[in-house]
Amino acid sequence: MNLHLSDNLFGFDLPDSAGQRIFRKVFELFIAVSTCYLAWKWGMYTLRISDVVLPLGVARYVDISFMHGNALPLWNAAFISIFAVFGFAGFRGIGRWAYAVAFVLLVFQYAARFSLGEIPHSSNLVGMGLLGYALGRIFFDQPLHGSRFSVGFSYVFVGLSYTFAAWSKLIATGLLWPDGRHLWMWINEKAVDEIARSGFVHLNYVQEWALGSMVLATLFLLVGLLTEFFAFFIWFKRFRTATALAIIGLHMGIWMTMDILFTLSVWELTILGLPWAVWIDYFIDKKLD
Amino acid sequence: MKDVDPNKKSKMLVMAVMCVYVLTVATNLGEFWPFSIYPMFSQGGKSWTRSLVREMPSSDSVSWDATSLENLPGTPFSVKANGVDPIDLANLVSKTVTWDSIRVAALEKMMFGGAVPDRNLMIFKVQGRLTDQDDVEVSATPFVLISPGRDQINPSIVP
Repeated sequence: MNLHLSDNLFGFDLPDSAGQRIFRKVFELFIAVSTCYLAWKWGMYTLRISDVVLPLGVARYVDISFMHGNALPLWNAAFISIFAVFGFAGFRGIGRWAYAVAFVLLVFQYAARFSLGEIPHSSNLVGMGLLGYALGRIFFDQPLHGSRFSVGFSYVFVGLSYTFAAWSKLIATGLLWPDGRHLWMWINEKAVDEIARSGFVHLNYVQEWALGSMVLATLFLLVGLLTEFFAFFIWFKRFRTATALAIIGLHMGIWMTMDILFTLSVWELTILGLPWAVWIDYFIDKKLD
Repeated sequence: MKDVDPNKKSKMLVMAVMCVYVLTVATNLGEFWPFSIYPMFSQGGKSWTRSLVREMPSSDSVSWDATSLENLPGTPFSVKANGVDPIDLANLVSKTVTWDSIRVAALEKMMFGGAVPDRNLMIFKVQGRLTDQDDVEVSATPFVLISPGRDQINPSIVP
């Protein structure tokens, strides 16, 4: 088993194939489309905001209120979309810097949108993916190298993100984090969110099970913590699909127990984690035969 | 960096980004999008504060007493149907220290998108805590009443 990180993450020395090219282009398309989606989603919502409650990220250094009370968020969304399209199209000249410009503009779009205190993490993986493409374009002259770097960069930070999440839990709460009563608190918290969202709440059977059994609730949290802790295994090809499926399972568990679904993250894991390139190559070979 | 081996270049870039990552999250309370230490749900068992909205009948008397979720006055109101993210509402309510006219106006704009209020909406601050008997106790306190005539704030939080 090859445990060399560069080979597992980037594979610069490995032969290319049609399957790999399609896989990389699909992932790049996902990042570009998700960037446009987030830019417009955040831009539209920012029109409702008139006050900064909790400045986040770049808003701690720049007074982000210039983005409020006017149509700037929509203009910004338009520019981000244009640069994302330029980046994906790979135009000469501007194409080299397009993703980087889109990334910087998206950082401001995020800060303007999330100035009311909410700190969501559903978009972080897409943000890191976009940063990976920005760096790949700027620092690699050969498109093949740049593209392989960008995908590998996403593997690094997808794995690290979930492992960081596990560390945060162990540092903030300690080894007793998977105490089932903690899950009871979060289920009740999310039930209130659901009442706020729709006016009503109806607990599903998984939530009822967890609330009815401390052992089951503890088991849910323990499996979740272990999955996050070992998420960095996604760096290695040998464990990539199993790790990605485990993390997708984690997301499904969070969805069932706490009604939170990181849709973009699940899509990203589905694209990055499954052996699409192998399947595509197999399909092409079969067709040619 | 033109002639650098792509493996070496990749390592250098990832290490450089890691340095920026660590520096920014260390100096910005763990968050500098897209960098994060992912602290969600890291504090197990901690009391929480959320928010919800009920549509209230038109009447002069308003009760500002805390109540349980089962005994909330008024009728259910969906913030999502009005384009509001419930987490934003919860944060605006829980993180506001001084309820001055600017903050009440921000709340009104969030709920009605800048239009004149056409109904009475009571914003509740909802708090949950783990009791010594291993139960989760949830109580809702009326905080701000947004109405077509004038907005009212719970007398206990008037600045």
